[in-house]
Amino acid sequence: MKLLYKLIYWNYHATSGVWYWARRRFTLAGMCVAGGFVLAGATGIDIENTVIYQSFTLLLALLLLAFAGSFFFRAKFSVTRLLPRFGTAGQPLSYRISVKNLTAKPQIGLTLLEELADPRPAFDDWLAFQLAESRRVRPFRVSQRRRKNPFRIANVKNAEIPSLPPRGEVETNVELLPLRRGILHLTGVSLAQPDPLGLCRALQKISAPQTVLILPKRYPLPPIALPGALRYQEGGVALAANVGRSEEFVALRDYRHGDPLRNIHWRSWAKTGKPIVKEFEDEFFVRHALVLDTFDDEPNSEILEEAVSVAASFACTVLTQESLLDLLFVGNHSYCFTVGRGLGHADQMLEILASVKNCADKNFEMLEQLVLNHVSLVSGCICVLQRWDEPRRKFVEKLKVLGVPLLVLIIVPPGGGISGAGGELVDAPGTIRVLEIGKIAEELVKLK
Amino acid sequence: MKIPPFLLLATLAFWGWQSGLLWIGVALGVVIESPRFIKARFDLADEDFRRIWNLCVVLTLAVAAIVFTTNDEGGGGLISNPTVNNASNATVHTATTLLRWLPMTLFLFVAAQKFSERGGIPLSAISLTFRRRRHKTGDAAPEREVDISYPYFMACLFAAGFHPNQGAPTYFWGQCILLAWAIWPARSRRSGIFIWLAALTLAVAIGYGGTRSIGLLAQVSQGFDARLLSWMLQPKTDSKQSMTSMGRIGRLKLSPRIVIRLEPINGSPAPAYLREATYHSYHSPSQTWQSGAAGNEFVDVPAEAGGLNWNLLPSVTNHSVARIACYLNGWSADLKVPEGLLPLPTGSSRLENVPLNIVAIKMNHTGAVMASGPGLVIFNARFGGDATFDSPPDASTNLWDLSVPTNEAAALDKVILEMKISGTNEEQKFQAVQNFFADKFTYSTWQGSDKLATINATPLARFLLSSRSGHCEYFATATVLLLRELGIPARYAVGYSVHEASGQGYVVRGRDAHAWCLAWNSRKKIWEDFDTTPSSWIATEEQRASMWQWVSDGWSWLRFQFAKFRWGQTHLRQYVLWGMVPVLTALLFQIIFRRRKRKTAAGNKNSVEKFFWPGLDSEFYRLEKMLAARGVPRQPSEPLADWLEHALAEPALAQLRAPLQELLRLHYRHRFDPNGLDEAGRKLLAQKVRECLESLTRLGS
Repeated sequence: MKLLYKLIYWNYHATSGVWYWARRRFTLAGMCVAGGFVLAGATGIDIENTVIYQSFTLLLALLLLAFAGSFFFRAKFSVTRLLPRFGTAGQPLSYRISVKNLTAKPQIGLTLLEELADPRPAFDDWLAFQLAESRRVRPFRVSQRRRKNPFRIANVKNAEIPSLPPRGEVETNVELLPLRRGILHLTGVSLAQPDPLGLCRALQKISAPQTVLILPKRYPLPPIALPGALRYQEGGVALAANVGRSEEFVALRDYRHGDPLRNIHWRSWAKTGKPIVKEFEDEFFVRHALVLDTFDDEPNSEILEEAVSVAASFACTVLTQESLLDLLFVGNHSYCFTVGRGLGHADQMLEILASVKNCADKNFEMLEQLVLNHVSLVSGCICVLQRWDEPRRKFVEKLKVLGVPLLVLIIVPPGGGISGAGGELVDAPGTIRVLEIGKIAEELVKLK
Repeated sequence: MKIPPFLLLATLAFWGWQSGLLWIGVALGVVIESPRFIKARFDLADEDFRRIWNLCVVLTLAVAAIVFTTNDEGGGGLISNPTVNNASNATVHTATTLLRWLPMTLFLFVAAQKFSERGGIPLSAISLTFRRRRHKTGDAAPEREVDISYPYFMACLFAAGFHPNQGAPTYFWGQCILLAWAIWPARSRRSGIFIWLAALTLAVAIGYGGTRSIGLLAQVSQGFDARLLSWMLQPKTDSKQSMTSMGRIGRLKLSPRIVIRLEPINGSPAPAYLREATYHSYHSPSQTWQSGAAGNEFVDVPAEAGGLNWNLLPSVTNHSVARIACYLNGWSADLKVPEGLLPLPTGSSRLENVPLNIVAIKMNHTGAVMASGPGLVIFNARFGGDATFDSPPDASTNLWDLSVPTNEAAALDKVILEMKISGTNEEQKFQAVQNFFADKFTYSTWQGSDKLATINATPLARFLLSSRSGHCEYFATATVLLLRELGIPARYAVGYSVHEASGQGYVVRGRDAHAWCLAWNSRKKIWEDFDTTPSSWIATEEQRASMWQWVSDGWSWLRFQFAKFRWGQTHLRQYVLWGMVPVLTALLFQIIFRRRKRKTAAGNKNSVEKFFWPGLDSEFYRLEKMLAARGVPRQPSEPLADWLEHALAEPALAQLRAPLQELLRLHYRHRFDPNGLDEAGRKLLAQKVRECLESLTRLGS
């Protein structure tokens, strides 16, 4: 069976490579001519009853000449890419590229093609995806949608380069549509020159390796009142995520009998001539935990992507000047990142979320332990779960027993519901929400 | 890339010219190009495009159905092709007619694009996948649109090429001009026009050379292909001689390959034998049967009107019919086409539904029928009567049908003595011979040294006198010579035995090749099959069938299907017709049920929109409309409060200022307050608006 999968993988590897090559080497007109050539070849076999074979030979001659003509491209260029640090999955990313002509000849009619790192996965990753799909989609079931290629990183539009004067420099705008979160590697750019017939392109590759971090897709959330109340944060904001003891200074007041001597503000006493003491107040504010479930066998799971997007939506929306948000998840280790009230910014949390991956070698209990250790600090808990099973149900039950206000969001595949959550959904309709992929935005705007 | 002006007109005119529908092509082209001069446009929605596309698909399928159900001779009117003089291949005719009509069946769709306000066709109109994806995701973003002008151009250009190749280069030069016209906008700005022209000219020259080369190559390969087939397929039967395997050592190895397929029609019985050739004289030293000089000349059999039927025995009408498919494994040096002997049931009188691409059918007086034409022939043979088209026993001085080699006579006489049949009549002699072989001989494909010729005995003599075991050639040869020795004219016949049922009919394998005797019935004056080979030979041969025979049968079936396709004998149109049934069903489902779902989806969409934009159902908008009608229209992006201030500047509306401002506050709450209006507030808004509307109506303009 593995040999069969290997054959399919090699076929996929080869055909996607050929298709990539063809899309770069042929112009749109060239692709049309090539398509016509294939069609003529298929329909013109019978040369007695049709004369389509005459189209076949003419189109073949056009393609051969165009291909031969695309070998003559002698010029030198240098490029500088003005790339932003971040992009967002699903949102077009525009940036500028400066192209410099290093020859004494003007260059016109050039097209710029971005070179991305080869997105084709290794066999093991590809196999894991195929097996997960075969588990999800029954064979010959046409009504079930197969997932789009999850390994495709981005779509890049070709950019027309304005006329380049001898040794001159021009800028052009490139639009890139990131399809996945994570680090996007750009290896270089290719400058393409069409052949005289305008069917094929000659390419000159210029190395320009750069990366851009693609943040997760976010959904718009309504202004929601998260569950939970103010909690005493020992040590105040600055130490809320650290260790040790301290109290927060509030004001100065006259000395009263019994005040500890160490609270006397000596400078004020000197100014006013009567004892003044410093008054302190404990810090109370809202602190939420955002728990992300990262436990699934499939490394490129669509559910994980959506879970990360939901978590990112909360990370961007919930943060205010008055509350903290802890992101809790398990990767190689257990992680807890805190942002809010000057401790960090949403961007940092998005950067972390951009790199989250599923971990297949650990179990859900690890996350449960992490959350339970942390739960005494938080006012409420938002759990984004990838499925609803016994360990997860018990985890939610434990949090309920501890009296933690909860919002549980369960991501399910398109058309899939959850089994076993009927009781919970009835008991606490606002606590557990099922988000079906494809309708997540609609469900999220219903949150209050 | 926009299509150059008038390219579609020129292409459609070219298509019309090549298809014999010049004026129709010109008319279509004029309509397609007319939007350049006519400014009126239709506002077509996605749903309209979908319906037009569905109509075009149904139209195409209807045309396909009409063409497929038209008989082989071709229909009349527009369906028939005025330029096709020789409807030699019904399948090709059907397919070409359908494809040639594509510019007409797709015309409405292209015209819809040209006359619509939109520049292209929404992808979901033609792609079910895309439509489903949008439907599932509820994507409300504007659809991606494509310009189908170039694909239509290619369709027209190819459709123009679906006509028989009559050697005229008009199509080639026409397509050169049109293709040059089409790729002109894509030319490189880096190169001048002269370089473009030079490159194009070179491409045309190479293309022309290639076209000529393909023509020559096809002629050579067709000949080579047929010759190769004749060598690769099973050994062909020679009408002049049949070299037997008698006197050789080893096991006879015959192929399990299916060489003939036979299907009795209308409940007719299956023939027991399919005869290919008959021979007169036996050359004993080489163990070869020969047809002799007499009766070896083939004469043409004239086809009946229509070219489908060929009468072999004009005076006889038989009622049994069998459909036979066989390969022609020889090669006609004169006609440059495959040729071969047709395997026919004894007493065949007429060949019907013979493929139209059969070039010639000939027959000789010994009962062999030679066909020239395609490598595979499928026809109906009418058979069943006593009369055959074999010549009566030779009455020349040679008396071919009674001659016995002198070196075999001694052994034959010994056998006749053993049979003790002197003085019996003809029927008794037949019976005695039959019993003699049945009782004292066994069937064997193994030929040991006991069958080798010696100085004193021929292989046949050793078979008759000592081994008494052999395969059908021994039995047939011995029977023919025995009967001749007894004074009964007889001939040696070769062909196939039909016994293996398969599905509705029978299959005949290479190992079913058989030899038997034709004996003259002097009472009825006819030739009759007289087979003395023990009937166990069939079981013996079947025992040697390999366990992998199903693989071989599968391969034979594939080869047969390919040969049918290769030689124009397919029932492709039937397959396509039946294949269309699920397509039509799916289309009907799509048209009927999908629309209902779309309506449901539209309902859901509205509810979502309501959720997204609360307050859009506010009655205040009715007030806005009415006030705007009084001459103060609200500007785009103008806040309602600002606009209301402008509107209330009119003195006549002074008394309405307070209620209107109160209403605006209510409206704002309904529209933007996250808590919205409660039910009472909602009712109040509706009621106040009604009152204001009435007041405004009373005020008049």
